[in-house]
Amino acid sequence: MSSTELVQRTSAKSRFLITSARTAVLIVAAAWVILPLLFMVLASFKSVSEIFMDPFGLPSSWSFSNYKRAWDEANLSLTLPNTIIVTGTAVAASSFLSAMVAYGLSRKERKFSTGLYTLFVAGLLVPVHAIILPLFILLKTVGLFGTLFALIIPYIAMGLPLGVLVLTPLAASLPRDLIHAARMDGASEWQVFRRVVLPLLKPGLLSVSILNGVWMWNEFFIPLIIAFDPEVQTMPVGIVSFVGSYSTEWGLVFASVVVSTLPVVVTYFLMTRQFQSGLTAGALKG
Amino acid sequence: MQSNPKNRRSSYSHLWFVLPGLAFFLAVMIFPILFAFGLSMTDWSGLGNDVSFIGLANYTEILGYWPYYRAALHNAAIFVAILVFQHTVGLYIAVLLNEKPRFMEFYRTVLFLPVILSLVATGFVWTLMLSPNIGLINPALRSVGLDFLALQWLSNPTSALGVVIAVTAWNSLGWAIIIYLAGLQNVSEELRQAAAMDGANTRQIFWRVTFPQLSPAFTALSVLTFIGTFRTFDVVYVLTGPLGAPNFSTDVLGTLIYRTAFGSSSFSSAEIRFAFGVAMALLTMLVMAVICRLILKVLRAREIET
Repeated sequence: MSSTELVQRTSAKSRFLITSARTAVLIVAAAWVILPLLFMVLASFKSVSEIFMDPFGLPSSWSFSNYKRAWDEANLSLTLPNTIIVTGTAVAASSFLSAMVAYGLSRKERKFSTGLYTLFVAGLLVPVHAIILPLFILLKTVGLFGTLFALIIPYIAMGLPLGVLVLTPLAASLPRDLIHAARMDGASEWQVFRRVVLPLLKPGLLSVSILNGVWMWNEFFIPLIIAFDPEVQTMPVGIVSFVGSYSTEWGLVFASVVVSTLPVVVTYFLMTRQFQSGLTAGALKG
Repeated sequence: MQSNPKNRRSSYSHLWFVLPGLAFFLAVMIFPILFAFGLSMTDWSGLGNDVSFIGLANYTEILGYWPYYRAALHNAAIFVAILVFQHTVGLYIAVLLNEKPRFMEFYRTVLFLPVILSLVATGFVWTLMLSPNIGLINPALRSVGLDFLALQWLSNPTSALGVVIAVTAWNSLGWAIIIYLAGLQNVSEELRQAAAMDGANTRQIFWRVTFPQLSPAFTALSVLTFIGTFRTFDVVYVLTGPLGAPNFSTDVLGTLIYRTAFGSSSFSSAEIRFAFGVAMALLTMLVMAVICRLILKVLRAREIET
């Protein structure tokens, strides 16, 4: 669109060359992204010898035996439900609490608003490496270690900085008259929040949920330290520790990697726009 | 009489909404970071009760601890390489997509896909792609007669860091494209048309009119890349292990701190120095915060000028 006027000056032939060159660049880039993923999916259906003999051919039979074995031997039967429970609970709780904080801090003239906002956002800088062992000790003391709450509670708190960062400006820009009108009608502060503010924050809440959901689903370091038992493991750590003992079973490894990425990829294809704008909005503000 | 409690309610009541979130935040972030700061001034190994206060000795030791500089240098190399990659390839692809070519949606969806994949998955895919006998890279190089390039990519000290960079680039290109694409949509079409009327060519229009208007995207992407690359951990852990193999040539701050604080299989437990590791993590946070500030200051100043 931008350079149409200019391109008109050049001849049709060179325009064709330019367009072809540009298309070639895009195709190369897309292939660079897709080929490894395709390779992984194909490998997940093959036996080890088949991967070595014919890495890029189609599998001789589309057998799900790798997936069946991954389900049992790579503990996916435990780690997949764990990942779903941890991510689901933490995303919901973190988004809801972020919305509450955002509403509470949305008016700068209120006491401590700016200070508390800065404190929450500064949480983005906290290095996980430094807090992980004190956290480990804390979770052990309160008896949550060895349960899924050992991941859920830290995730809820770690989701807050981004949530507050994205939602506070949105809450501040809500029409004040609407909130005043609800109060006039006798609604309590809590009712105002649930019935008026929360519905209006929906687009922001979706961004925050996607943003936090993606990292919680994929997080590797935190569960590596505080959830290493198979009973409470999430998929990334489960797969890495499984690979340690079955390092040559590539078909099995890729079947579990496919299972661990498929839910996120499917959600992404269903909501591509929301993912891209949600992640970008969060990243730009961060 | 009534106005007093009412006043108090209206000036503090908003804090009830903050309280539940704040409780989580204080317990999980603030308390541990203070605890960590206290620990960083001891010599605690992470095991046992042998703790004594040593003040800032850990911090002064870091200043002369060369593995720390080596790791930071690797982070810096990854940062510079990814930064250049994002601002060239990423920007170029964003510009191409902004021209709305056919299948634009398809390209954009596919190119952003790696961003949502876990680094663990990314690491495994590329481990196999680069493996010496199977994989895509080496057979492809051999088939076009570049046998000498068919290396043991990950076990060769000179190429391993390059692999880490390439895999990081694969994983993060989508960010650059999406951020620049969002920026390009805000570029004023009128200004570009005016420049075209004045006889500017495509290149001049891009560099003098479009690119300056992209400076907020440039700033955001640079800061994002800085934070992301200096927190690198998963990719290195999966590709070359917690030791930053081979021979520490891919050791980054993330793996160095992890190894020092928690140990790794090939480290004996005598070498685990938890407090020292925590001191490194805190110092890194402080330096990163300062550099982040500086980058923002320099780049934002540039935005206003243009």
